[in-house]
Formats: sequence, C-alpha cells, structure tokens
Amino acid sequence: MVNVTMRAKGRRAYFQQGTVLKIVVLAILTALIVLPLIRTVVFTFQPETIGAWGDVLRGRLSKNLFYKPLGNTLLIGGIVSVGCVLLGGFLAWLVVMTNVPFRRTIGVMATLPFMIPSFAAALAWGSLFRNDRVGGQIGWIQGLGFDVPDWLAWGMVPTLIVLTLHYFSLAFTIIAAALATVNSDLVEAAQIAGAKGRRILMGIILPVTTPALVAAGSLCFAGAVSNFATPALLGLPVRMQTLSTRLFGMIEVGQVGRGYVIGILLVIISGAFLWAGNRFISGRRSYATITGKGGRAKRFDLRAARWPLFGVAMVFLLASTIVPMIVLFASSFAPSSAKLFSGWTAHYWVGTSDPSFAQGIPGIMHNSDIIRALTITLALGVCVALLGMIVGLLVSYTTARYREGWMSAAITQFSFLPLLVPGIAFGAAYIAYLGAPIGPFPALYGTFALLVIAGTAYLLPFSVQTGRAVIQQVSGELEESARITGAGFIRRLAAITVPLAIRGLTAGGILIFVKIVRDLSLVVLLFTPTMPVMSVLAYRYASEGFAQFANAITVVILVISIVATLLASRLQAKSQPWLKD
Amino acid sequence: MKFTKLARLGVVGILLSTTGLAAQDLDTMTVAELLPLAQAEGTVTVYSFTSRIGKVEAAFEAAYPGIDLQGFDISSTEQIARLTAEAQAGLTNADVIYVSDAAVVLPALLEPGIIAPYVPPRVADRVPTEFKSPLLAQRLSTKVLMYNEEANPDGAPVDSLWDLTREEWTGRVVMVDPLQRGDYLDLMTEMVLQSDQMATAYEVEFGTVIDLGEAANAGEKFIMDLFANDVILVGSTDDVNAAVGGLGQDNPPIGFTSYSDRRDNEEEGWALQVANDVAPAPGIIFPAVLALSAEPNNPAAARLVIDFLMGDETETGGPGLAPFYVAGDYVTRTDIPPHPDAVALDDFTAWRVAPSATAEIRADIGDLILTLQ
Repeated sequence: MVNVTMRAKGRRAYFQQGTVLKIVVLAILTALIVLPLIRTVVFTFQPETIGAWGDVLRGRLSKNLFYKPLGNTLLIGGIVSVGCVLLGGFLAWLVVMTNVPFRRTIGVMATLPFMIPSFAAALAWGSLFRNDRVGGQIGWIQGLGFDVPDWLAWGMVPTLIVLTLHYFSLAFTIIAAALATVNSDLVEAAQIAGAKGRRILMGIILPVTTPALVAAGSLCFAGAVSNFATPALLGLPVRMQTLSTRLFGMIEVGQVGRGYVIGILLVIISGAFLWAGNRFISGRRSYATITGKGGRAKRFDLRAARWPLFGVAMVFLLASTIVPMIVLFASSFAPSSAKLFSGWTAHYWVGTSDPSFAQGIPGIMHNSDIIRALTITLALGVCVALLGMIVGLLVSYTTARYREGWMSAAITQFSFLPLLVPGIAFGAAYIAYLGAPIGPFPALYGTFALLVIAGTAYLLPFSVQTGRAVIQQVSGELEESARITGAGFIRRLAAITVPLAIRGLTAGGILIFVKIVRDLSLVVLLFTPTMPVMSVLAYRYASEGFAQFANAITVVILVISIVATLLASRLQAKSQPWLKD
Repeated sequence: MKFTKLARLGVVGILLSTTGLAAQDLDTMTVAELLPLAQAEGTVTVYSFTSRIGKVEAAFEAAYPGIDLQGFDISSTEQIARLTAEAQAGLTNADVIYVSDAAVVLPALLEPGIIAPYVPPRVADRVPTEFKSPLLAQRLSTKVLMYNEEANPDGAPVDSLWDLTREEWTGRVVMVDPLQRGDYLDLMTEMVLQSDQMATAYEVEFGTVIDLGEAANAGEKFIMDLFANDVILVGSTDDVNAAVGGLGQDNPPIGFTSYSDRRDNEEEGWALQVANDVAPAPGIIFPAVLALSAEPNNPAAARLVIDFLMGDETETGGPGLAPFYVAGDYVTRTDIPPHPDAVALDDFTAWRVAPSATAEIRADIGDLILTLQ
C-alpha cells in the first residue's frame, strides 16, 4: 500500500493524468478475464492433453464428441434466433406501432420471460410433457391419458420451444427500442405518397430496424448456443448432446482436456456470431442518420384484427410466463406430476424426513443442504453485486474520464469480453485458472471466494454498463471542481460520484444479484458439495428424479428474482420509451 | 468458523499431549479412545456413492450425539473427478470416502496418495484379507440384469444377454449412461473381458458362430448391438428401477441396476427381481470400499464413521450396517450371516470384477461407447 502511494506521487511528473488508474484497472481486468481464458488454452497444449485436440476434431471419437453436438448446437442457435426475432419483432410491432388492445400489458409481459431462469421453463416443460420413455415420473398430459410422442417430450423440439420462449424477450426489448425511434416523418411521407401498410413495413420500417434485428438475432443466437440447462434437462435423456452438455459431461467424468477443447471451440463459435453481427451493424452505420425529432406517427389501425392479434400475442406471453410459474408452483405440492392439481401435500416444503417418502429427503424448510445452499446463494448474490459494482464503477469511471489511448480501448474491449464466453465455458476456464495454486496464492477450488470472483468477472459487462450509465449522469464539472480543491481519486469517488449515483448503482447491483442467483451455467462446474448453490441443487434433484424438490427450489429462486427485479425497476424508474404514448 | 475449528484443534492438541496419547497412532485406537477426540472435532464429512448415506447420517448422529455427520450423495465417477480436483487445489473437503469403481479408485486416488486405507481394529480379524487390502471393502455391490416379477411371474423373460439385442427388446432395455456412472462402464468392460463366454453364449443363443463385423471381440460386438437396439440411457439407477420395476405394467422393459434395490420394492411400488440364470452372467459384483482422505480434517471422527459403517457386535451389525444388510448386498464381515432372502453368494452367477484388468481397457471401452451414442 505504501509502495503504491509512493509510486502514485512519483509518477505525476512523468505520466499523463490517469495512467496509474488505467494500469490498475487493466491489471484487474487481465487477472479477472484474460488470464483464465489464456490459462485454459495453455492447458490444452500440455504434452498430456494435446491429444484431446485430435480426439475432438478428427478420429473416430470426433463425430460424437464434437461434430454431432456442433450440428445440434448450430441448429438450436439458428432456429431459436430466427424464432426469437420473429416473435419478439411481432410483439414489438404490436406494442409500438399498432392500436392493439392492452399494449402496456403486452409490453410488460414481454420483458418478463428473461427474468425466469431458463431451467425453470425446462423443468416446467418436463412436468407437463414428460412421457414414460425414460422411466421415472410422467408428466401431467400423459397423466390425463394422452400419449405424448417422444419428439414432443424430449430432445430437439422441446429444447427449441423452451429456448425461443425464453430468449424472445431479449429480441423484443431490442427491437421495440429501435421501432420507438423510427422517425415518423418517413412514415408520414410514405403515407402521403400513397404507400400501403405492407409497403411501409417492407420499404421503411424493416430496413430502418435492420441493425436492431441483426443485433437481436445474434444475441439470441449466442444465448441459445451456450445455454446449458435446457438441452441438459430435455435433451440428455434421449442422448441429444450440444457443445455445452458435452463440455459439462467431459469435465464431470474427469476428461478435462477434451472438455476444455470443446469449451474453447464453443467460445469461438458464439464469439464469431456476435462479432459478425456487430460487423454487419457497424458496416451499415449510414442508417444512423435517421434520427431527429419527428412526432410519433399515427398507429396502424388493425381494425378487425385487433382482438385476434391480441389473442395470438397472449398465447405466447402466457405460455412463456404464467404457465411455467403455475406448473412449477403446483408441482412442488403434487406428489406426482401426472396429477398436478390433486392430492397436494406440503411435504416437499415443510415435511420432516420420512423414509417412505422421496428416499427420506426432508422438505426444503427442514433440509440442511438446501438451507445452506440458500444462505450461500444469497451471500454470493450480495458479494458479486457489491464487488461487481465496485469494479464496474472503476472501469466505467476510467474509460469515461480518460478516453484516450490504447489502454482505454483495451479496458473497454476486455470488460465486454465475457459476453462472448458462454457461462459454462467461463466456469471451466476458472477451474483451469484457480483450480491449482498459483505461486504463493492458494488454489481457490471449492471456496466461496472462487464463486464470487468468477461471478464478478462473468457479469462485468453488465456492471460496467450500469456504471457507465451512472457516470454519464454525473457531470464531469462537479468532479473537476473537486479536483481543483485537491481531493484525491478515492475522495472524489466517495464524496461526489457515488452519493449522486447511488440509486442507479443500487438498481444495477440488484440486477447483478438476480443474474447470479438464477444462474446455472456458470456455477454448475464450480459447484462443490460443501459449497452448494440453489440452482445447481435444483438441477441435481431434477436429474436424479426428484422433480418436486427441484421445482420447489426453483420457485424460491423465482420469487427472489422477481422481488429483486421489481425493486430494481422501482429504483431506476426503468425507461421504456415504447410504452409512452 | 475457522477460529472455532482452530480452538477445537487446540483442545485436541492439549488432550493429546497431556494424556500421552500423542505417540499412539489413531489407526490402532479403540472406539472408546477415538470418541472423545471425535467429539472435540464435532463434525465429519462423508462422500458417498449411495443415497443410503442419508439413513447412515441419522443413525450415526443418534449413536454418537454431538458429532455432525455431513453426508453427500455423489456418484463414484464424480467423486473421483472432484477428489482429484480438490487434491490439485490442495483442498480437503471429505474426511471419509465411500466409493465403488475400485478399478479407477486404486490408480487415481490411492496410488497418488489422495486417499488412505483404514481398517478398524475392532473388526480386522473378521474381514478376509482380500477385502482389507489395498482398501477396506464394506460389502459387495452389484450391477445386474433385473426384470419385473409381477409381469413375469414364471421367471426372467430372457435366458441370455444376447436376447437383449433381439428385435422384441428394441427400445426396451434400460441402463444408466456408462459415461456418467463408472459402475456401468465397469459392467461393459467386464463383458469385453469375458468375450470368450460371450462368444459361447452367442452360439448357444443363435446356433451360429458369432460374426464380429467391425467389433474386436464378442464383448464389443454385444455392446455395439445393444446400442444399435436403442438401449435407453437414463441418469440414475432409480430411473432404471422405476422403468423396469414399476407395478401395473403390461410389457415392462428390462434393465441393469443394483440387485439390492429390490429392498425398496414395497416402499416404492416396484417388482424388481434379478435374472440370475441369464447366460453367460447377469452382470458384475464388485466391492464398495471405505477410505480416509489422505489428510482428513477430522481424523478421529472419520475413523469412527468407518468403524460404524462396518457394523456393531449385534447379530446383523446394528444401525450402522442396517441400510446395507439387505438382500442383494453381500457384507464382507465373516461373522454376519448372509441375508436370508438373497441368492447365496456362491450361487450368484455375476462376474467378479478384477480391478487391475478392468483399469487396463476401461478408457478404451469408454471411447467405444462414446462412438456409439
């Protein structure tokens, strides 16, 4: 510490303002994000693991180890992203540009699915559609006496449906925001020139919103290819593997080298699509000239189609929000998911251990494993939120106040790097990185610290984003005047920026909290039995056939997520321009 | 929490030095000598490959109040991966390791010194040497072909493993994914090791000499045919049990699972029965071993748990052994009578797994299965 301050004093004469800060921030980001990724790559090139590249990429194993999972992964990514853009785009068009009834409700409901963890939707699907192919409990529909065909119960089709119903709200948010900025002058000009609705849509609105459609598509693609929970719960029972489930399976059985290689390839694929999407958008910057402040155009009158279209929208919205919630809630009380709404018992919540019931597993209120997991999960959420906001603030402060130089550019690039890395691959990287001692530092495998550090690093893009929004609200002049009076960096941050931005910071922190609490893909590999978290526990119960416990835990996660999200949106009075009239 | 643990260790240290026990090895202590040390430790963590650890936990805490047993149900395969990773991290989570899959445990955990053997002196003279070294075996467990007794009251619906490759069993043979559970990979491996018997059984079943095609031997051929016949892979043995054993099925599937799961027939509504007469053998029988981690955090309590799991001095071993004194599990202690409802060990036709031979080709069989999925 003394050393640092001394150097800080000494450098003033030699360096530009902010150089030390930039070096510190760059060092933090390198340690958090760049080194784990490099470490993983290096690991696979050791003499004893380099063979894994050959196993994965060619030879008799490669088909099942890599190419078939790759095919499934790309199929999922492609169909889900197209489905999300269509569904999200349709809803966004309804809400922003038409006179559909209950626009506001549709708008709010369309943002909800993303709040529900994707494994919750997958579990709900199982409770409804499971058939008897793989033994264990059957779902509600089969319980009613209908035969559920295999293709609807397991594998690709349910995975595609569940993922589309999860990620479309991401597409909705992006496309709605873009539609809301479409300059009404253009539309009115077209109307005056006699263009009809269809022509306006194809000739003006679609081209203008192309960047948003591409951005939405590539984000949904990246999300879908890296999703772990849904293909694991719905695909594995019928041997449908994706890259993320293969990665998990390989590491779980100790074939770490092969696992890492698959992880690296997954990062490359998901990163490539995001990059390509970005390239496409920035190549078409010319469209950004359409700004200016025209008034909102007259809404398209849907006439007779108003209510039918409203109905169509509600089918999707109910299926993606209310239905899974009801199913999960009901099945956490029902002894058998075949009879979802009868014979309810509170055993799975408050029962004590009974050898004749669920192998003697006590209800979640009396289950010390689950209580421990709840405590750890909440502590993890709070720590990651705090640490994330501190680092995020530091990063965004540095890049906002000292914009010039390659270091600032590097800081920006590094801080958004985790967006390109699927959670499960990021988890794998952290095991490679901190799973063994580094010099004098002890290994962190199995510790709470590892979860916190990995979570912070993984969610850094979001905390930096929040930090940036907050910093921009606080005018630089305030800070300048403080600096003139001789206040140091920490002092300025603590006395000016943070107090002024505390609401925004808290809201951002809560969102980080929600993201980590409901996350499965990052923590599923970092999990150790003595350091359990809720989502992994739910996943393990589900894969061992104890659906009710899995669903009960998921309900708890859902409640925490929803309450926290509502709290956050109250705090930041979320701006949703497309809802304004 | 760390500090209370340190304080406890301090207490233990004082106890040890003042009573002069320091010189005495924990390994030779009696239960009475271990108990005060274990109580000072206060807690003990067990990694167990069977969910029955839940019942052990309750029984142990009732027998030794003041010692909190934390039991974790983790499959053998995952235990090996986790213990290896934890050792690399210089971290010890588990005190006691209760695991099957000896073929991997010996080279991967015992040889590098991640786990250590312990035989409670109380029962040492009542366990045959083959089950005391290199690690203590508590019992023999099984992965064998089981069928639904209710739907097949006259005995097993198949008389040869090769029946499972016939069309009538397409999509109706259930087992756990051998890549997820080592016991099942051992089963597949044993079939390859017993290729001669498999070839003979093929001739008996189909009346022709086996045509190996792409397979290297009869065992591999069987595995390939089984997968080609749409074998259903599930996540856990309980899923196999429910699918095969569930009551009220007209045409139930058949599957590989633990013989001892028959114990739950009544509680769970199953009708599981072993197909002991199937040719050439219904499956494998293998040891379930108990070991200490190399440097347990709670060394005395850990030894107490292993002593407890080996059963007490009552006729059938008391509460510690009760979850394992069931038909289909063969307790290694010579003074405990075999369970009356099970096929006697001498009449049980399952193959005995030889760990070293299994270890040699196991990874290759794993790769073979990977190409079939």
